[in-house]
Amino acid sequence: MTVPTGPWAVQVTGLRKSFGAGNAAVAAVRGMDLAVAEGEIFGLLGPNGAGKSTTLRILTTLLPADGGEAVIAGADVRRAPARVRARIGYVGQLGGADAGATGRENLLLTGRLYGLGRAAARARCAELLGVFDLSEQAGRPVRTYSGGQKRRLEIALGIMHRPRVLFLDEPTTGLDPQNRANLWELLRQLRAAGSTVVLTTHYLDEADHLCDRIAIIDHGAVIALGSPAELKQRYSGEAIAITPDVPAPSLPALALDLAGALAGDPPAAGAAPGAAWAVTGDGAIRLALADGSPGATEAMAAAFALLARRGVAVLAAGIARPSLDDVFLHETGRTLRDAGSPPGGARTDGAAGVSAAAAGVAA
Amino acid sequence: MTTFTVQTGLFFQRKMLESLRQPAWIVMGLTTPLLYLALFTPLLNSLAGGPGFPPGHVLDVFVPGVLVLIAFGAGMGAGWTVIWELDSGVIERLRVSPASRLALLLGTVVRDIVMFAVPAVVVLGVAAVAGFHAHLAGLVLLLVLLSLLTAACSAASSALGLSLRQIGSLAAVVTGVQLPLTLLSGILLPLSLGPPWLRVLGHLNPMYYAVAAARDLAAGTVGTAVVGAGFAVTAAAAALAIWWGTRAYSRAMA
Repeated sequence: MTVPTGPWAVQVTGLRKSFGAGNAAVAAVRGMDLAVAEGEIFGLLGPNGAGKSTTLRILTTLLPADGGEAVIAGADVRRAPARVRARIGYVGQLGGADAGATGRENLLLTGRLYGLGRAAARARCAELLGVFDLSEQAGRPVRTYSGGQKRRLEIALGIMHRPRVLFLDEPTTGLDPQNRANLWELLRQLRAAGSTVVLTTHYLDEADHLCDRIAIIDHGAVIALGSPAELKQRYSGEAIAITPDVPAPSLPALALDLAGALAGDPPAAGAAPGAAWAVTGDGAIRLALADGSPGATEAMAAAFALLARRGVAVLAAGIARPSLDDVFLHETGRTLRDAGSPPGGARTDGAAGVSAAAAGVAA
Repeated sequence: MTTFTVQTGLFFQRKMLESLRQPAWIVMGLTTPLLYLALFTPLLNSLAGGPGFPPGHVLDVFVPGVLVLIAFGAGMGAGWTVIWELDSGVIERLRVSPASRLALLLGTVVRDIVMFAVPAVVVLGVAAVAGFHAHLAGLVLLLVLLSLLTAACSAASSALGLSLRQIGSLAAVVTGVQLPLTLLSGILLPLSLGPPWLRVLGHLNPMYYAVAAARDLAAGTVGTAVVGAGFAVTAAAAALAIWWGTRAYSRAMA
């Protein structure tokens, strides 16, 4: 994939946003730089709390930034918010359809607010009801809609006025696989019709299959940017996943030993620092092999040898093709799943072990 | 971009449909003031003619107070739906649209004025049959004055809902201010029945002036200083509340 050269639908430079004041201030976005080309489906991928939604809220004029610039479809978010609003569509996590009103009333009101005349709004409403397969439900209150129907209506509300850029915050969260696939198809159709789509997600497969380019976000900054293929290629080192038959609390210690074994113990002079590792939620140890470390087959053999010496049985093992999770793992020493889990509880041990290992990898 | 007036009309239409879909509220909006008339007037009958009670038919004193209660009730409900709309993302979606924030607020305000005016006219009709002396010019001005009061309450309620964001907090604040506001305005019982300190406290309450003006207007005395003060204070309160509500709609929300 060639790197796009514009024209840009979204240009963000040095964006900053903190919540709270003084010493209690928490930086949600710290120096974000992004450029989304017209006609792209662009994904902001990252764990919960990474700053994706805050970024989206700044870009859609809902929140003022503390610093930095954001230009959407040619209009500056801070200086010309009204012009930005007229040119964008936004589908928030909450959806925002008026539950007491009918689907048709929701669409007509939205169309009129964005300046469509009565007849134009009616025509566009009928068109979208057809496209989104909602004609039958159009006269019923939204509170009677199924989850998929409600989501489709919310997307329709977001594009009623044919926005140049459509922002979606976690659009497929809570959708079943069928509705999710349908939504992906709809977004692809929008792109085909010339719209730019910017969405946040914490689903790897969504970023991988739907997005032309993605920015991986962690702690309020972009840590990797490119097409899914590019990113995976950049971290082309393969990964292996092993599920050992040990209790969950001892997984991090074992993972650390395995990572050490793969690096050669003691590491040969000048050798790569070995595998970044993570314990995934399903009890597997995932070892992403850095460039220069032994191949996956050798790594697997080394891992099995160590486990055999310890007398640990292996429940499952496999060579994993590089995924976006490996990209995130390489950059942060954590998996997206772990990063997204709330702090505290049994997972804290694992997270501590992971950061210790990440420090070791970096050393 | 539609004009401000069109937007206000669209938001009013949305809110009006919302009200019409909840007939229970419309029925309660009519029965509550009628129950006040039916059940409270007999209690006042025994006070009428006594020391401190204003002259005239009991209903002449009490009906303006009931109308103020209707205005207060019609206005103060706005905040509840605002919180519900915050939670369902409706307000977030509308804030991303180019629609005017003032129009967004005024759609609800105008709806609440309608929801005040309709039961008010019904109550006036029933009260007139029961012995209330109606003075047409005064009543028209009275409805205008209390529409301003409804606007002030509605805008303040929306602003409170947008700032507090929790149904529980809003309920606490509204019920907390309701008692002193209504009691110290002399709605149910005239403050002239009370000791001087109570009357002084009443003068600190903006609603006191609306109620005092409402009594004068209901009695058909239009050009008094009390009426002037009532309009001035209520209009100022409405303007302030509308400014507050508009600001609450435009302010960034995390």
